[in-house]
Amino acid sequence: MMLVSTLKRCFVRAFLAGLSFFLLLCVSGCSFKTKQSSLDPKGPIALAQYDLFMVTVWVTLFIFVTVGGALLWVVWRFRQRPDDDDDHMPNQSHGNPLVEVGLIVASILLLVIIAVPTLRVLVYTFELPEDEGSKLGQWYQGPLTEEDAETILTVNVMGYQWWWAFEYPQLGITTANELVIPEGKVVKLNLRSADVIHSFWLPKIAGKVDLIPGRANWMWIKADEPGHYYGQCAEFCGSAHAYMLFRSDVLSHRDFEAWVEYQKKDAPEALEVSVAAGERLFAEKTCIQCHTIRGNQYAMGIKGPDLTHVASRKSLAAGIMDNRGVDGRIDRLKQRENLFEWIKNSQHIKPGNLMYHDDAGLKTVPLSDDDVHKIVAYLQTLN
Amino acid sequence: MAVSTHAPVADKRLLPPSKSLIGLIRPDTSTGLVDWLTTVDHKKIGIMYGGFALFFFLLGGIEALLIRLQLMYPGGTVVSAQTYNQLFTMHGTTMVFLAVMPLNAAFFNFVMPLQIGARDVAFPRLNALGLWAFVAGALILNLSWLFQWAQVFGWFTPVSGQMDIVPAIGWFGYAPITGKNYSGIGTDFWIFGLQVLGVASLVGSFNFITTIINMRAPGMTMMRLPLFTWMTLITSFLIIFAFPAITIALVELMFDRFFGTNFYHVEMGGQPILWQHLFWIFGHPEVYILILPTMGIVSEILPTFARKPLFGYPMVVFSGAVIGFLGFAVWSHHMFTTGLGVVATAAFSLLTMAIAVPTGVKILNWIGTLWGGHIRFSVPMVFALGFIWMFMMGGFSGIMHSAAPADAQQQDSYFVVAHFHYVLIGGALLAILGGLYFWVPKIFGRMMSEKVGYIAASAIIIGFNVAFFPMHYLGLTGMPRRTHTYLAGFGWETWNFVATIGAFVLGIGVLMVIIDLIRTVASGKPCGSDPWDARTLEWSLPSPVPAYNFAHNPVIPGRDAWWLHKYGKKPEQEIEYEKTGPEGIHMPSQSWWPLVSSVGLLVVGVAMALHSAGVPYCGYVAIGGLGLSVVSFFLWALEGPGGYHLTPPDDGDEPQKVLASYTPEPSQKLELTH
Amino acid sequence: MNSDISSAATVDALHHEEHSSTGIENKKLMMWLFLASDCMFFGTLITTHLIYRKLYPSGAAEEGILNIKNTFNIELTSFSTFILLMSSFLMALAVSAMHKGQLQSFRKNVLGVIFFGLIFLGCQVYEFTEFSMGNPTAGIPPLTLSNSIFGSTFYLMTGTHGTHVAIGVLWLVAMFFYSFSGRMNIHSAIDVEVAGLYWHFVDIVWIVIFTAVYLIEYI
Repeated sequence: MMLVSTLKRCFVRAFLAGLSFFLLLCVSGCSFKTKQSSLDPKGPIALAQYDLFMVTVWVTLFIFVTVGGALLWVVWRFRQRPDDDDDHMPNQSHGNPLVEVGLIVASILLLVIIAVPTLRVLVYTFELPEDEGSKLGQWYQGPLTEEDAETILTVNVMGYQWWWAFEYPQLGITTANELVIPEGKVVKLNLRSADVIHSFWLPKIAGKVDLIPGRANWMWIKADEPGHYYGQCAEFCGSAHAYMLFRSDVLSHRDFEAWVEYQKKDAPEALEVSVAAGERLFAEKTCIQCHTIRGNQYAMGIKGPDLTHVASRKSLAAGIMDNRGVDGRIDRLKQRENLFEWIKNSQHIKPGNLMYHDDAGLKTVPLSDDDVHKIVAYLQTLN
Repeated sequence: MAVSTHAPVADKRLLPPSKSLIGLIRPDTSTGLVDWLTTVDHKKIGIMYGGFALFFFLLGGIEALLIRLQLMYPGGTVVSAQTYNQLFTMHGTTMVFLAVMPLNAAFFNFVMPLQIGARDVAFPRLNALGLWAFVAGALILNLSWLFQWAQVFGWFTPVSGQMDIVPAIGWFGYAPITGKNYSGIGTDFWIFGLQVLGVASLVGSFNFITTIINMRAPGMTMMRLPLFTWMTLITSFLIIFAFPAITIALVELMFDRFFGTNFYHVEMGGQPILWQHLFWIFGHPEVYILILPTMGIVSEILPTFARKPLFGYPMVVFSGAVIGFLGFAVWSHHMFTTGLGVVATAAFSLLTMAIAVPTGVKILNWIGTLWGGHIRFSVPMVFALGFIWMFMMGGFSGIMHSAAPADAQQQDSYFVVAHFHYVLIGGALLAILGGLYFWVPKIFGRMMSEKVGYIAASAIIIGFNVAFFPMHYLGLTGMPRRTHTYLAGFGWETWNFVATIGAFVLGIGVLMVIIDLIRTVASGKPCGSDPWDARTLEWSLPSPVPAYNFAHNPVIPGRDAWWLHKYGKKPEQEIEYEKTGPEGIHMPSQSWWPLVSSVGLLVVGVAMALHSAGVPYCGYVAIGGLGLSVVSFFLWALEGPGGYHLTPPDDGDEPQKVLASYTPEPSQKLELTH
Repeated sequence: MNSDISSAATVDALHHEEHSSTGIENKKLMMWLFLASDCMFFGTLITTHLIYRKLYPSGAAEEGILNIKNTFNIELTSFSTFILLMSSFLMALAVSAMHKGQLQSFRKNVLGVIFFGLIFLGCQVYEFTEFSMGNPTAGIPPLTLSNSIFGSTFYLMTGTHGTHVAIGVLWLVAMFFYSFSGRMNIHSAIDVEVAGLYWHFVDIVWIVIFTAVYLIEYI
């Protein structure tokens, strides 16, 4: 009996010590401003979702403190003390309807506090805002049809195993794995999938909406300030699901227009000898079967990402490889290494992807290091 | 046929073998292995359920620890992406279908008939089928590991060229990733495994409902049922209404894969969202199928160790029923991000919030039970208190999910992983372990070690919180679930490391419990029939419980009958016993057919998956397996219920008052009547 | 209680004297529970069918593949529906005969149910064959499991129902032969009644399917 009571004390002490150490870690080891944090909202949708989340946090924290406190107090107050009679018979009360109904009413009231803002934010996120200033004609200086001028910027997001295509139908451009949008404007995203279910999640800008094959989902987003944002597929979509990342660049109007102008151009012709060799290899090694490069008349494939301006992207392989240097701009040397590594070892980096491998993961195209270097040299000119 | 006067209990092994209606000898008088394989005794079936479930629970735990090892550091290379996906698929499927559900079923089987004063369940052979079909389904799922290893060694290659032989589709198996284009024969193992498990759950539930409604002892009115029995009843109803949805969804998927139908073929107009609806119409009630029985366990433990009746019994029963009912009306909250539209999302959001009310009622009533009590911190009580605390925290993150727009950030992130592990480990598992410590003295007549119990409980509760509390943070800072790795630099490194440490502490705690359980069964300290000074009828029986449970049928004086009997002030609060007639107690005969028909189902499942892999003749083997099941069902029917009679011993192991007129005649101690 | 406990009659009586809190036999209660669950099975199938039906008015994602109204042979299906309804009537007679202990009458009626059930199954097999082949000369396109979403939902649902009927027929055949074993007596009435419940349920489900799947095409 002595041993048991000692153990009980040890148990309580160990538990409390562990708890306090844990809480200490929590306070010291948490930053809410990390790269992909939903607790650092940078757009109205993420902000509305964050505010609603905080309402639920405060309400549940209140319940936690009152109910948890009551539980602790009751357990402490009515514990059997060492000198108590083992056979002590407490009052055999069966319940108290008044208390029970009162607590039910109280819990319903607490839920109403959550329900009201939930419905408000729900309607807000599900309705495309009628924002005059966001219409393309109001801020975009490039050529537009009259119809397009009256609508807001639309991006068709297409999910593939395991990468993203972003098509701007009003602007006539397509890019991959990097969603570029203007600051402060409402953007409508049409979410479609080419194979299995994916989910578009850009935590600092908006919570997720699924891309379901055969289903026309959409969402609207708006980013408050320019910056480089991180997103990821959030629905399990096969073996390399963890590698289906994407990036989002939010640009000022001026930068965005410059970016669009640039993207509209075809890829430059391969003039240098070494680059032309790369271009030839790009065709010979079957790359053209899956990739499109506008300006290269042979590269018309649609199974893989559009590579017309691949060298202008800040990341590679659906966001796994970062091409940027410390200053946040593209580091050409790093990009070259990444491209080489990716083309050489794509199956190792992202198992199951379709690049010149069959279903069993066996190489279908022989590639020497020299070939890869040449192809990289060519790709780096697509800038 | 007289027995030695020293035999305290009539022994069926002394009976000559009986024959079935078609002349086959039934294994009535068997011992050892044959006895366990053919038993129809709900207690033995319950023990086997528990044993198998603990084995699969360990397997699922090992899978979990591998997952945690892989995620310990960014860019982990412990397992490959495909293996990781197989691990989380099997971990989820195993824990839900092969661990928590059968552990609950183990308690249903062992405890429920004792609590209502019955001698067995309504259909003893069907009960055995439930057990063996569960084992068959579990084997179908897990045999896929063997074939995967065979593939790794090059002995086996599916014709499709897809190498995921262990399912790698998630326990939810969202179409179209389960289609033939995107996944290999792992999906077939998964489909057939779940179908067979569905058969097991359904027959078990039909049986439990019939038993509870029809086989209560005299005086055991519905509002006198122990809470655990009530939750068994509600859970069984949930199972019979929820499982058809997934069964049909799986049949549709199977037809898509085997016969080219178009239910989920997008090109032909199939809608993958249909799968999600059907799956969650099953899947959400499933959540309550996992948690309601454990709420019942806690509702038994708390009053016992507070020495007070459950506070607001009718309210707790009613809230359980409301939870079960609402459980069918909230499935789409798993689909808030699928673009349901504003009306549906709002409706499911509000209904989900509503379900917090009956859940809260239960927690408040548990606190009310403790209020004014005389609380002993025995091991079951430590687990039960841990349950309330952890389940409450899981409930809070649940309320956060119910706010649909906020859920858009939480869905499919580690925040959700934290939420449901708080509900399923902090909730279900703690209660199950509490129930284990609570009822093992009754099941085996031996006490588990208190010392080990306290240490294990501490390790489990602390390890669990260290593992899963940080996941709230990970999810909110953007870490998605089901990713086999993550990049450095996103602020996830520290807490993933901490979570892995916690998971191992949790694992050690669970292992301690299981090792101590094995030690207890083998050589634990024997205990009396009522070591906890408990309240319900099962504690009035000797430990371990004799084959016929009650030597004389009890007449129930009120709620918490055994407590009333022990401490009631009035004579009418005592349990009376209806004298067993001279013909003895009718016992059901044992049978091979539940086992044989389950073997048939096992053959069907494995053969169909191999057929899909292109192994020759497997189609015929599958048909043969189905034929074996059908034939054994016919023989089952022809063999009839059978049965024999045992006369209870005269000294009456019942610790109680047999009606005065009862005077047993020694010469009739043991009599074969059929 | 009879003290002569070794006599077969007493054993039988003992076995049938099951303790029941509600007064409903366990077997019957169990069958009701199964049927409640079965409702969900058919509910899921019929709902799937109707949802896809609404989504694709032509029955397939691609227009012009099917011509459902012409594919259907409503006269034949009406006939088999009528047959199934009549079999339910005979089933009720069989149950009633068993309750009275009239074994001969029971056998006659059960044989009738089996016969009608087989006619229904025969009609379904004929129907499935006709539908899946179509009639190119009359301009009726085939309807198969895999050529359209309508084919998938239609065959799976009616096929599941057909399987239920077939199981019912097997059950009754087994009972018919068992009735010659000499072990069937008035206590077996509950077994027949349970089989009857199942048969009636399968019948009712067919009425729902006939309405929601066949007749609805003609509104």
